[in-house]
Amino acid sequence: MLRLDRRLLQNVDWPLLGAAFFIIGLSVICLWSLNPGRGISALVWRQLSWVGVGLVGLIVVVSVDYRNLVRFAPALYVVGLGLLLSVFVLGRTVSGARRWIHLGPLTVQPSELFKLIFVVTLAWALTSGRGERLSRAALIGTFVLLGVPFLLVVRQPDLGTALCLVPVLGATLVGLGVRLKVLGGLVLAGVALMPLGWLMLKPYQRDRLLVYLDPFRDPLGTAYNVIQAKIAIGSGQLLGKGVGGATQSRLAFLPERHTDFIFAVFAEMWGFLGCLVLIVAYALLVLRGFEIAAGTREAKGRILALGVTTVFASQVLINIGMVTGLLPIVGIPLPLMSYGGSSMVVSLTALGLLLSIRMRQFQ
Amino acid sequence: MELKSVPPNRREAWGRRILALAITCSLGFLALLGQLWYLQVLEGGRLHELSEKNRIRIRPVAAPRGILFDRNGLALVDNRPAFTLSVIPRELEDRDAVVARLSVLLKIPAGELMEALERVAPDSIRPVRVRRGLTLEDVTKVEERKLELPGVIVEVEPQRTYPTSTFAAHLLGYVREVSDEQMKQGRYRRGDMIGQSGLERLLDEYLRGRDGGERIEVDAYGRPVQIMRREEPNPGAQVVTTIDRRIQEAAEQAMAGKAGSVVVIDPRNGDVLAMTSSPAFPLDRLTGNVERDEWLRLVRDPMTPLMNRALQGQYPPASVFKIIVAAAGLQEASLTPMDRIYCNGEFNLGNWTFRDWKPGGHGHLDMNGAIAQSCDIFFYQAGLKVGGETMARYAHAFGLGAPTGIDLGGERFGLVPFTPSQRARLKRPWQAGDTVNMSIGQGQLLVTPLQIARMMAAVANGGILWKPRLVQRVEQADGSVAYSASAKMTDRVELSPVVWAFLRHALASVVKDGTGALARVPGVDIAGKTGTAQTIAKSDASKGQDHAWFASFAPASDPQYVVVVLVERGGKGGQVAAPIARQIYEAIFLQKVAQVAFGESG
Repeated sequence: MLRLDRRLLQNVDWPLLGAAFFIIGLSVICLWSLNPGRGISALVWRQLSWVGVGLVGLIVVVSVDYRNLVRFAPALYVVGLGLLLSVFVLGRTVSGARRWIHLGPLTVQPSELFKLIFVVTLAWALTSGRGERLSRAALIGTFVLLGVPFLLVVRQPDLGTALCLVPVLGATLVGLGVRLKVLGGLVLAGVALMPLGWLMLKPYQRDRLLVYLDPFRDPLGTAYNVIQAKIAIGSGQLLGKGVGGATQSRLAFLPERHTDFIFAVFAEMWGFLGCLVLIVAYALLVLRGFEIAAGTREAKGRILALGVTTVFASQVLINIGMVTGLLPIVGIPLPLMSYGGSSMVVSLTALGLLLSIRMRQFQ
Repeated sequence: MELKSVPPNRREAWGRRILALAITCSLGFLALLGQLWYLQVLEGGRLHELSEKNRIRIRPVAAPRGILFDRNGLALVDNRPAFTLSVIPRELEDRDAVVARLSVLLKIPAGELMEALERVAPDSIRPVRVRRGLTLEDVTKVEERKLELPGVIVEVEPQRTYPTSTFAAHLLGYVREVSDEQMKQGRYRRGDMIGQSGLERLLDEYLRGRDGGERIEVDAYGRPVQIMRREEPNPGAQVVTTIDRRIQEAAEQAMAGKAGSVVVIDPRNGDVLAMTSSPAFPLDRLTGNVERDEWLRLVRDPMTPLMNRALQGQYPPASVFKIIVAAAGLQEASLTPMDRIYCNGEFNLGNWTFRDWKPGGHGHLDMNGAIAQSCDIFFYQAGLKVGGETMARYAHAFGLGAPTGIDLGGERFGLVPFTPSQRARLKRPWQAGDTVNMSIGQGQLLVTPLQIARMMAAVANGGILWKPRLVQRVEQADGSVAYSASAKMTDRVELSPVVWAFLRHALASVVKDGTGALARVPGVDIAGKTGTAQTIAKSDASKGQDHAWFASFAPASDPQYVVVVLVERGGKGGQVAAPIARQIYEAIFLQKVAQVAFGESG
């Protein structure tokens, strides 16, 4: 199974991989420059080792036919659900949320992993029906199947992950040609549920939303992150302050600067031009993903490629949107940039899935 | 494996929908770039400024206050590092909580801290000094809880330190934080320490120096990371005074426990060598944070410790004034040294009887003897011969009734009656009895110890009235002289040399075999005059408690020191003030002997 066909190797999508590794390279430079002068810090080594683990995941996924993966979707789903549930039992509370479980020396964030399982389950559920057209029953079944883990993720609470799953589902439905009437109904239902959602939110999450609407409500409390991130990004100006001059990042004014707010660090160091390059790299990656999805004939591959691409796209857009103050703050990493094992491994594995589909497009 | 092939027409539709999604995503990326353009290019300058404000703190570095030296180069005051609690308003995350914590930790009333903070803008990055003179224990407490106290720092500032709490208190003056009223002058910054009295106030501009500052980079927790720029403070100028610390100390020791004043000046140039006023106030206690109660206690103390008696205390000169009467009489030829009287202790004038201080009188006396024994009866008659107006004229000539011109503020003029303005104030005609009272320095006459010292210097040096000099020069830190003063003669008393010689001889006999015998120091010729000023009894307890004077100079043949002693309600001048003068002379001359003996250069 692990033996790779020569023909398959010829179809490796080098631009996609190139863009991904360009971004990973920037991530490593960013993490290194947060603690410059003392050689390569433990942080960078750990991130590099996660890249290594991710590469293994990538190669494994590439060498397996994705259709086999979809076939194991129910098993993956059960494992994923189990992991999400285990968070409530074994989970460690970090800044008000239980998102991580300990596996020996490692901390794993099941909700990260679940993004992939979500996509695979989606592909499985939407293609296991008999007819060519999507039946209402299959649709409802899909909603139920995905609604349960979704609520679990919301309850952790991991609003960021939950929020980026919504566009994935939406894009998949749009791609499958679900009628606009049905989509409209779903959107309306979502809007109708929003007050209920507000009640379900934890107080700090409500604060974040209010701060998004008015950052200067409480400049030293909840809005601190937003303001400091804006200051960091803006002070980079056109050309950036360089590695040494990034005072916002280096002097720790910026919160969560290794993880969710790493884009602000990058923006302070490299300025608008650097950001332009980074965003073009992400856009390249995402558009390449859409191209793969568009070029795939087989239904499972289509849904998988589209799902993986939208998982990427929505994470990037939501993360950078929130760091630049366009969107409210939700805990969501920037794929391939943020420090963190779960995110890196899952991102690279997802990339592997895209590659795998691309390589088998013409089979 | 269930492969589902998709018909071509649906394949096309799929492609179109994917394209729509891709376009949607691209719009999202464009929106991000738009926001980045807004933040980094359009708003970049402003946000860059905010990031600088985030990381840069300005810390003033206090300039060490200039040091005051005595004439021999001994320090009169010095500086030591002291800890000051400061708060940076901008870094206070929760002002009320931090203030409450500090208040409990250091037992400072919260209101006091709030008051200090409310005077400045809440986003100021300049530290506000909220309390000075922290103990080491307090500093430890604050440092230990640094993380709970964001925006609170401990600064090290040079602070005044004194040889003893009250050493030369009135002369040096105290240093204290600028008051609200002083802020209105616009010359100071809040929290500046400025001289509030004495030489510290007189020379404040020189002593203060200019504060430096540091621009430091701090991290998000307010911890300093590096000093970006440091502007060194400009230390205050050093002042060489005319004071002789050893004489000052001896004078203070001699006056310990007594109320009054000692003035020691050099009759050759008017240099003030020592000047005391007791009771004195504690300099060190007024320097830091003065408790309101303590301040009120000082202000309300009936012994008025804040008053500088040397130039603000006004007393009847009593028998010391006989020098003026003698000088006036001899110069105007209404008296001669050969005049003799018989003193039986009483003098009748009309219906009034004036008594001598010595019951039974002194018997036969000439003028020299009358001065030596301080015979009142002689001077009653002498005063009548000389006349009130002439006595007043000579009193003025010797500098009484007018300021000496010393640089310290608040000097009193004293009072010499029988001038037109004074007579108007009297509201009744001048009578012979007033002249009689005036001739022994009583009545309305009032003088300050400093005026008497200047007068005695004129007697010692043959008539020169000096402006008392306190400051020799002020030297900037770079060695340049910012100010210097030489001896300055303000007036001259013109008397015949014979009169001067007589006066000096008579004053020498006061100590040799007269009322000032207790001032005698073996090996030194001292000339002087005792005085016992009657006071209006405030109560039975203080009845008979007269002010004791001893005004003197030495050596009588070549005067170098004028020593004037006044003890408030101390008793008789010869018994109370003269021994104090002796102690001071001993310190002066024994020190001189030691210097000669051990070959010290000075």
